[in-house]
Amino acid sequence: MSALTLYQLVALMLLVAGLYGIVQRRSLVGMLISVELMLNGAGLSIVAASQLTGANAVLGQLGTLLVMGLAAAEATLVLAIIVVVSRRFGTTKTSEVSTLKE
Amino acid sequence: MEVLAKVAFAVYALIILGGAVLAVGSSSLVRALVGLIVTLFGVAGMYLLLNTPFMAFMQLLIYVGAVCVLVFFAVMLTRAHGEGEEAAPAPVKQYLYALLAGLTPAAILSWIILKHPLASKTVPLEVPIVELGKGLLEQYFLAFELISVVLLVAMSGAVLLAWERREKK
Repeated sequence: MSALTLYQLVALMLLVAGLYGIVQRRSLVGMLISVELMLNGAGLSIVAASQLTGANAVLGQLGTLLVMGLAAAEATLVLAIIVVVSRRFGTTKTSEVSTLKE
Repeated sequence: MEVLAKVAFAVYALIILGGAVLAVGSSSLVRALVGLIVTLFGVAGMYLLLNTPFMAFMQLLIYVGAVCVLVFFAVMLTRAHGEGEEAAPAPVKQYLYALLAGLTPAAILSWIILKHPLASKTVPLEVPIVELGKGLLEQYFLAFELISVVLLVAMSGAVLLAWERREKK
């Protein structure tokens, strides 16, 4: 098995853990943690592919930096949404936050 | 050296696996957050193995330093303590759906990865940090500016979302 395959399998494992978590978790914070896991797997996959093949290594690393920046922006917005939801509904359980309008 | 790299890879992979299991399986959200941090450290180790120390540094700075603190704020602000929303076991159906959602892409993607392996280098070359800076300011200038606009919009959007409710009171 080549080195690239091993790195891709680790990234795939992170994706699977994140997908499992986002379906199984019952609170918004738990789902946010799962999304961060998946984004990390994506970053690892991009860097491994650009470092271990003949692809443009600068592009790969800057692409992962972009993913990290997007993850930070996404976490900020999700934090604000979670604060608003918990003020309005008193909980962040996904089963109870199911109405569009009160 | 070859053996040492393999041992380091196995150690980091185990750290990532353990952290990910803790992050998605723990019934306490604070423990899940600790699992996420462990995973992030493992991925930073993988970046070091890939000969990209700058990415490992950014991983620690952005993910462990900023994103995890944000998630911790989310845990604190919603009072999601140990006996919170994740404490009661989920219905069995939900575990089954979650397993299905995880394993289907795993089966398809791992089949593709193993069926069509790409030729890969054994020793990755380190890209000097000057090259990265040049890339940011010359070729990928637009993406660099756009990500700062996205961050600014996200930050002001978050402030606006949290502020409006307070004024209504």
